[in-house]
Amino acid sequence: MTTAPPPVVATPLPRPTSRATRFWRRQGWVVGVALLLGVLVLWRSTQIPEFGPFEVRGLVAGTMALALLAMAQSVIVISGGIDLSVGAMMVLANCIAARLMLDQDLGTVVLVAVLVVAVAMVLSGLIGTVAVVSGVPDIVVTLAASFILGGLALIVLDGPGGGTDPRFQEIIVGGFDQPLPSTLWLAAALLLVWVPFKRSRLGIATYAVGSDRPAAFLSGLNVGRTRVVAYVLAGFYSGLAGVVTTAFTGSGEPRASIGATATLTSVAAVVLGGVALMGGSGGLLGPVLAAGCLALIPALMLGLGWDPNYAEVARGVIIIAVVMIGGLLQVRRKRLR
Amino acid sequence: MTVTTADPPITRWRQTLVDRPAIALGGVLVVLYVVTGLVAPGLFSANGIRATLLLACPLAILAASQTLCMLTGGIDLSTVMTANFAAYVAANQSGQGPVVALSLALLVGAAVGTVNGLGVGVFKVNPLIMTLGMASVLLGVVTVGLVGDGFLSGSTRLLPVVTEVASGTLFGPIPNNVIVWAVVAAALVFGLSRTGLGRMIYAVGDNPVACRLAGVRIWQVLLAVYVMSALLAALGGLLFSGISGSVGPDQTNAYLLPSVAAAVIGGTSILGGVGGYTGTILGALILTVLNRLLLTLDTTEAFRQILYGLIVLALAWVYVRVTGQRGT
Repeated sequence: MTTAPPPVVATPLPRPTSRATRFWRRQGWVVGVALLLGVLVLWRSTQIPEFGPFEVRGLVAGTMALALLAMAQSVIVISGGIDLSVGAMMVLANCIAARLMLDQDLGTVVLVAVLVVAVAMVLSGLIGTVAVVSGVPDIVVTLAASFILGGLALIVLDGPGGGTDPRFQEIIVGGFDQPLPSTLWLAAALLLVWVPFKRSRLGIATYAVGSDRPAAFLSGLNVGRTRVVAYVLAGFYSGLAGVVTTAFTGSGEPRASIGATATLTSVAAVVLGGVALMGGSGGLLGPVLAAGCLALIPALMLGLGWDPNYAEVARGVIIIAVVMIGGLLQVRRKRLR
Repeated sequence: MTVTTADPPITRWRQTLVDRPAIALGGVLVVLYVVTGLVAPGLFSANGIRATLLLACPLAILAASQTLCMLTGGIDLSTVMTANFAAYVAANQSGQGPVVALSLALLVGAAVGTVNGLGVGVFKVNPLIMTLGMASVLLGVVTVGLVGDGFLSGSTRLLPVVTEVASGTLFGPIPNNVIVWAVVAAALVFGLSRTGLGRMIYAVGDNPVACRLAGVRIWQVLLAVYVMSALLAALGGLLFSGISGSVGPDQTNAYLLPSVAAAVIGGTSILGGVGGYTGTILGALILTVLNRLLLTLDTTEAFRQILYGLIVLALAWVYVRVTGQRGT
């Protein structure tokens, strides 16, 4: 007894989409954030009598550490996790760098900077390994890690202190009105590290693991190793953020609340930057631009003559509103399909 | 690497531990208590017991709000800011009598919880982001309220009833705030296991898709959870202000990690659907005794932080290994 084969239903072929549609679908959010940043910068430039290299330098150099931290968080979120210890890692790197760089010549200072980034990569990789091997949810592991890293920072430097070479500061964050160095460093962190990584096998594996862990495992990816690699790359960025903080402030500051606030802002920048918390989508350019937007809010409020403390309220409302809008857009897109 | 080998058959003692995590946690608590007592003999006295209970209470109540949210697969990072805000409002309005002041404080909690619940339940915002944004908003509101002639400026005299409930002594080693704690604990343990809403909370955390297909109005469950969570946070904040004898815009912030840790150590999965309040109570007690142990050790604040983080991590790790409750 055989059953008749199911009747063949002619499914209409989907029409190929145009280049513009594809670009808009993939990069629309980033373009939107870039426009927002542009509008905010324009707005800011109307608030002050003269908007020149000095202001641009202040803006870029001041946002740099936060932007790097947002990159660190993005890598982890893309791999399907979340890292609540990036801020503490930045504080620890800042403290180690400030302590070792004090009264050293330029060569040693640069060596210390490289060393600090390497230490951050090792520590972050260790955190990732613990999360992967133990099977404890990464929120818990990284929360606990943020305590450990904060404690280490206090051991390295028991109060504000340390220092660095002024020439090193100039190289990293630029002189008084030199916006170029900081901009170039940020671009280098994106173009020379992230772009090659994203296109490599490891980068594609990171997206795959973040998008669907069981599917990635079943297609033969080493899920655990990929996650650890994501943590190492995040450690690179947060270590860099610490070095940049040292160069920007010229000192080290072990206060734990700085790390906690920075972590929260990094999550906010990631969400604003169009990286879905579900993992597996988005890039690093969006979060960097979003970090710029978030950093501009207090300055704008000050320019409007408002209490800058409202910036905290505005930041919270913007984060929530953006996520809501993003969610609604996603729902609509699903319906259209 | 031994991780990738096939799971061994679950032995009987393991199964017992999975079913009754309270046994293992109780064991850990007793061992920790005895060790701490050997280092600091004062812990065995009535005063020592009283101090432990007194300090564990606000933590356990903040952890209760965390437990509720975690059971649905969420988290509430705005608890501590809600607690601070509510305590501030109560102290600021204490001139209007305890009823008005306490109602206003709880109203703050209810309002925060409603917004959180609507965001998470109706607008499907990720709970982490929703409560993070809310914490940001609350921090800003409190800071602005304190500046100059803002709505929170002026006297901050604690309500006598808050001080009495939070730091008074009932009898012997039992502080007054244990009554509040006991009521909360009884309501949560009973409510989670015996009421419809309680079972629904587990169901939503375990499998939201199945719940939706079964006709559960998930948003109502989430709204209820976040409102309860914020009310508990407000209560915790009031109790803490009674113990510390003051209010401050960030005085309970150090409790955020411990409140999550207490729930995790107590066996509530951050992924939702597994756990309960009994474990959280023990988790809060363990963390309080641990804190005491670290304080008696003659080390720096830095070492204490590191040890605290390591021990929380180790406890979570052991728990996950023993029960096989791995996150993917």
